[in-house]
Amino acid sequence: MAESLIRNVWLIPLLPLLGGLIAILGGRRLNGWNHIPVVAGIGLSFLLSAIILLGMEGAHETEAYSWIGIAPTSSAADPSSGPNGWSLVVPVEFRVDGLTIMMLTMVTFVAALVAVFAAGYMVGDPGYPRFFFVFGLFVFSMTGLVSSSNFLLTYAFWEGVGVCSYLLIGFWYAKPAAAEAAKKAFLVNRVGDFGFAIALFLLWTYAPNHDLSYANILTIETRDALANTELLFGQSALFWIVALLFWGATAKSAQIPLYVWLPDAMEGPTPVSALIHAATMVTAGVYLLARTSLLLAAEPALQMVVAVIGCATALLAALIALTQTDLKRVLAYSTVSQIGFMFMGIGAGVGHIAQFAIIGALFHLFTHAFFKALLFLGSGSVMHAMGGVIDMRRFSGLRHRMPYTCWTFAIGALALCGLPPFAGFWSKDEILASLKAAGHDEHVASGGVYTGIYWVATFTALLTAFYTGRAFFLTFFGPEKLPSPDDPEALGADDHHGAHASSDHAALGVDTPAPDSPELSRYEAAMGSHRPEVGSHAPGASATPHEPASHGHGHDDGHHGHDSHFGHESPPIMTVPLMVLAAGAVLVGILFGPPTHWFGHLIEETPSFELLGHGEHAFDWGTAVSGTLAGLIGLGLAALMYARRTEIPARISALVPPLAKASWNKFYVDEIYALLIVTPTRLVATACRYFDVYVVDGLVRLVAFVPRLIGGDALRPIQNGLIQSYAVMTAMGVALLLIVLMFVG
Amino acid sequence: MTDPSFPFEYLSNYLIIGAALMALGMLGFLSRRNLIVMFLSAEMMLQGVALTLVGFSRYHGNWTGQVFTIVMLTVAASEAALALALILVLFHRIRSLDVTLWQDLRETGLPESVDTSGAEPYEPVPGPESYPHLTPSGVEPPHPRQPWEQRRG
Amino acid sequence: MTLLDSRDLALIAAIVALGWVGIWLLLPHRHGGVKTARAYRVGALLSAIAVLLVLPYLTPPGDLLARLFFYSFSLLALLGAVLMITARNPVNSALWFAVVVLSSSGLFLLAGAQFLAAGTVIVYAGAIIVTFLFVIMLAQSHGQAIYDRSARRPLAASLTGMLLLGALISAIIAPGATRKDGDPAPIYSVGAIADQPPADGPIAAVTAQALTETSRLPRPLEQGETPAHVAGLGATLFTDHLLTVQVVGLLLFVALIGAVAIATPKAPIRPDRSTASSSPGSATTNPGGVS
Repeated sequence: MAESLIRNVWLIPLLPLLGGLIAILGGRRLNGWNHIPVVAGIGLSFLLSAIILLGMEGAHETEAYSWIGIAPTSSAADPSSGPNGWSLVVPVEFRVDGLTIMMLTMVTFVAALVAVFAAGYMVGDPGYPRFFFVFGLFVFSMTGLVSSSNFLLTYAFWEGVGVCSYLLIGFWYAKPAAAEAAKKAFLVNRVGDFGFAIALFLLWTYAPNHDLSYANILTIETRDALANTELLFGQSALFWIVALLFWGATAKSAQIPLYVWLPDAMEGPTPVSALIHAATMVTAGVYLLARTSLLLAAEPALQMVVAVIGCATALLAALIALTQTDLKRVLAYSTVSQIGFMFMGIGAGVGHIAQFAIIGALFHLFTHAFFKALLFLGSGSVMHAMGGVIDMRRFSGLRHRMPYTCWTFAIGALALCGLPPFAGFWSKDEILASLKAAGHDEHVASGGVYTGIYWVATFTALLTAFYTGRAFFLTFFGPEKLPSPDDPEALGADDHHGAHASSDHAALGVDTPAPDSPELSRYEAAMGSHRPEVGSHAPGASATPHEPASHGHGHDDGHHGHDSHFGHESPPIMTVPLMVLAAGAVLVGILFGPPTHWFGHLIEETPSFELLGHGEHAFDWGTAVSGTLAGLIGLGLAALMYARRTEIPARISALVPPLAKASWNKFYVDEIYALLIVTPTRLVATACRYFDVYVVDGLVRLVAFVPRLIGGDALRPIQNGLIQSYAVMTAMGVALLLIVLMFVG
Repeated sequence: MTDPSFPFEYLSNYLIIGAALMALGMLGFLSRRNLIVMFLSAEMMLQGVALTLVGFSRYHGNWTGQVFTIVMLTVAASEAALALALILVLFHRIRSLDVTLWQDLRETGLPESVDTSGAEPYEPVPGPESYPHLTPSGVEPPHPRQPWEQRRG
Repeated sequence: MTLLDSRDLALIAAIVALGWVGIWLLLPHRHGGVKTARAYRVGALLSAIAVLLVLPYLTPPGDLLARLFFYSFSLLALLGAVLMITARNPVNSALWFAVVVLSSSGLFLLAGAQFLAAGTVIVYAGAIIVTFLFVIMLAQSHGQAIYDRSARRPLAASLTGMLLLGALISAIIAPGATRKDGDPAPIYSVGAIADQPPADGPIAAVTAQALTETSRLPRPLEQGETPAHVAGLGATLFTDHLLTVQVVGLLLFVALIGAVAIATPKAPIRPDRSTASSSPGSATTNPGGVS
C-alpha cells in the first residue's frame, strides 16, 4: 500500500486544494459547512502521509507531469558540453524521503488540527468560504514545497505559500492595519525571493546538464564542480549560490535582517498565525537550508554566518518579547527567536557532527510546530473569549474561567521553555549540544565563535522561559479581570501599533471585520439559520440566552453584554485541537527524540544527508542540565514577578530605562527601515510619478493632440453618419484604384 | 480547357453587360433615398455579378461559376429577408423610408447634414391619385391599450 | 498591362461623360429653372447614346438568331437598369427591376445556364412580389414622398457610378486581357493553369492537386454542341459542392430566424391615427409616430 502511495504522492498536496476549491465554489450554498471539505482533505492527506511514513524505505522520486521541457540546441546535444547546450527541463516531480515525509506528516497534522480549530474560531465571519479556500491552497503549496523534487518546483510552491500568507494576513482587508501588514509581508518576502531566484539562475547556469533536480544538484560531484567555478569577488559559484539561498531563507523564515514582517503578520486571523506564521511556512527557510545542507557544509564561513545570524535573531527577538503586552506579538517574537535557534542548529553543522546538527535543527522545527501552534491556538482561544482583545494588560486571572485553555497553554509554555520531558527540551538540547560540540571540535576553524554562540543561546533560552512565563502568568494568573471599555488601559492600549490610527481600531478587535462593512450584514442574513446550531455546540452558550444577530458584533467592545461567548471557555471544536496538540507537545520529544532516535533514523534516510559527516554523538548531560537550569531560572523569575501582581517589573524597567524603552519599541528596527529604505523609495517613486504624469503622459497627449490639430476640422465631417456618403467614398476609391492599376500595373 | 464554342470575345460580352448592371446598381444605391429602391439597386448589383459568373462558367467549361451563382442567389434571398425586415423596423420607428433620416452615428458635435439639392416639384401623373385603400370588412374591434405582449398572462 | 489606344480611351471617356450627364439629368431632383420633363428627355437621349456607345465592345455571337436575342436582352437589361434607378415611383422601380431580371435570365439561357435562368426568374418573381407588397404597405399611403423626388447628391453619385463602369470596361477590353495564340499564357483562367504541363516542385504539385476537379465537363465541347444540362449542374452541386449546399441551407435557415427576430413587433405596430380614430381619447403614445 505504501508503495503505491509513494508513487502517487502528488495526492497529498492535491487533496487540500480540492477541499479548498469545494469550499469556495460551494460558497454560501454549503451553508456554513465550508470547513468540512478542507478538514477532510487535509485529514486524508495526513492519513496518506502517515501510511507512507510507516511503510517507507529509502528515497523515491516520482514524475507526475512534465511541466517545462526545452531541449538543448542540436549543436550542443552532448550534455557534457557545458553551459552552451542550453536546455531547461522541469518535471513536476515529487520525492519521498525522510526529510520530506517528516515535513509532510507534520504539516498535514498541524494543519488538520488548526483547520478544526478555525472552523470554530471563524464562525460568523463573512469570509468563511474564502478563508477555507486559502487555507486549503496554503496546505497545497506547503506540502508541494516540501515534496517537490527540484529547485524550480520548490520555488514555485515557495511563491505559492507567500501568496497564501499575503492573502491570509490581509484576510480582513477592510482593516487598514491588516492590509498594510499583508503588503509588508509580501514586499519583504519579495526581497528574499529575489535572492532565491538569483540562486536558481546561478544553479541552472553552472549545474551540469542544467538539471535543477535535487538528485543532480545535491551530490558531491556537483558540489565540487560548483566550488571550482569562480564567479565574483574571488568567490566560487557555490559560495554565491549558498549565500543567496540563505538570503531567501532569511526572508521566509523571518531572520535578521528580514524578520520585520512576521510580528505584523499577527494582524491575520489567529489560526493563520498558528499555522503559517508559527508552525509551517516560516520554517520553509529552515527546510531549504537543511535540504541544501550538503552545499552549505562546503562553505564553513557561510555556516558561521548562518549561526551568527540565527543567534543574533534569537537574542534580539527574545529581548523584544520581554516587554510586549500583546499576547500574539509575544508569541510572534518567540517564533522568530525559535527559528533563530533552528538556524543556529543549521549553522552548527560542521565537521563530524554535521548530520547531528542538521537533525537537531529539523527536530526543533518538528517539535516547535506542535507547541507553537498550541500556544497560538491557545491565545486564539483567549482572544475569542475576550471579544477580540489580546492586550495582556486588559485581562488577567483567566485560569478559572478557561481551564482547558489555561492548562493546554501551560503545557505549550513549558515545552517552549525547554523543560524536560516536554518536546521543546529534547530539540533545544540537541541544538545546544551541537553548538557546544562545534565549539569544541578542533577541526573547526573558529570554534570560539561557536562557543560564544552556545552561551548566548543558553542565555536566550533563559529569556525565552522568562517571557513565556510572563505571558502565561499575566494571562491566567493574578486577579480575575475582563476587558471592559471602562478600563483605563483600553484607551491607547494599542499605541504601539504604528498602523493603528485610533483606539477605534483596537475596539474593533484584531479578529473582526469592521461591523459596518456591508459584507457582514449580508453574511448575517445568509448565515442566520446556521448560527444557533453552532451555538449549541458551546456548553457555555446553552446556559445563557443566545441572540444570534448579535454574534457578528460580539467582538465589539460595545456589545459585550450580549455576547454569549464572552469570558467563557471556548467550544469543544476549539479546545479539542488544543488538547491533541498539548498531547503532542508532551509526547513527540520522548517518542521521536533522543530516547528512541526514531526521528534521527528517519531523517538519515534522506540521500544527501548520508553524505554529511556523521560521527557518533552521545547525549550531553552538561548541556541538558544547563539548558534546563536556564529554563527553570527564567520561569522562576517570571513566576516571582508576575504570578502575583508586584512592583518588581516596574522597578526593573525604571532601573534600565533606555533598554526597556528600546525593547518596548522593538529596538526601533521598523523606524530604521522606514528611514533607510522606505523614505528613499518613496522619494524615487514620487519623482517617477511626476515624470510619468508630466513627461510620459504629456508625450501621449501631444501625440493625440497633433492629428486633431492637423485634420480635425477637415476630416471630421466625413463621419457624418450617412450610409450613402460612406458608400460613395468606397465606390469612388474602388474606381480610382482600378484606373490607377490600369495605368501603373 | 476552354470551350471552343464560347471564345474570349463572347465572355467579354457578358463581362461588359455585368459590369454595366453592377455600376448602374451602385449608382442607384448611392443616389436614391428610398430604402426599398436602394435595396433593389443592391439586388441589381448582384445580378450583374451573376451574369459575370455565368459567363466565366461557360467560358471555362465547368460548373463552378453556376454553383457560385446559386450560392449568390441564396445569399441574395437571405439578404432580402433581412433587409426587408430591417426596413420594416426602421419604418416603424420614424414612419418614413428616407435613409437620410438615419445619421445618428455621425461624429459628435457635427450638425445634421441636410440635403440641399431640393426635390423636383410634384407633378401628379394622370390616373388615380394613389392606390385604393382596402376597406376593412366588418366592425373593427376596439383595440386594447396595452400591447399584446404585456397582456399575455 | 499595356495602355488602351486613343480610340478606346476616347470612347470610354465619352461613355462616362455622357452617362454621367444623362443619368444626372434623369435622376429626380430640382434642375434649376428647367422643367422636369424637358430635362428628362435630354437625359434619356444622352443616356441612350452612352448605351449605344457600349455596343462596339460587344462581339456579335453565333448565328443571327443568337445575335438578335443577345443584343435585345442586353439592351433591355441596360435600359431596365437605367429606368429602375431613375423611376420616381418605387413600384415602377420594382417593375423595371423585373425587366432587368428577365433579360438577364435570357442572357443566362444564351450562356447555357438553363437551370439558373429558370431559378432566377422563380426566385426573383417572389422577391419582386414581396417588394411590391412592401411598397404598397409602407410607401403608398402618403402619395409620392419627397425623398422619392429628390436624389441624394446626384452629381457625385452618377460620376462615381460611371467612373466605376468606365474603369471596369477598360479593364475588360484592355489589350493585355485578350490572349493571343502563342503567348505565354498569363494566368487568366483556372483551366489554363490546369492545362499547363505539370512543372516540378511542390507548388506545382499542390496546384495540380487543387485543380483536379470533377466538375469539369468530361470532354471539350465540339463546335455547335450544347454543354450538358441541369443534370450536370445537379451532379456537381451534390458531389463537389455538397458542403457548400449544406452551408447555404444553414445560411437560409439563420436568415429566416433573423428576419423573424428582427421583424417581430416589440411595440404596437398600429399607427397613431387608427388608434386615435377608433378609440378617441386613448393616451397611447408611439415614439416618433408623427409621419
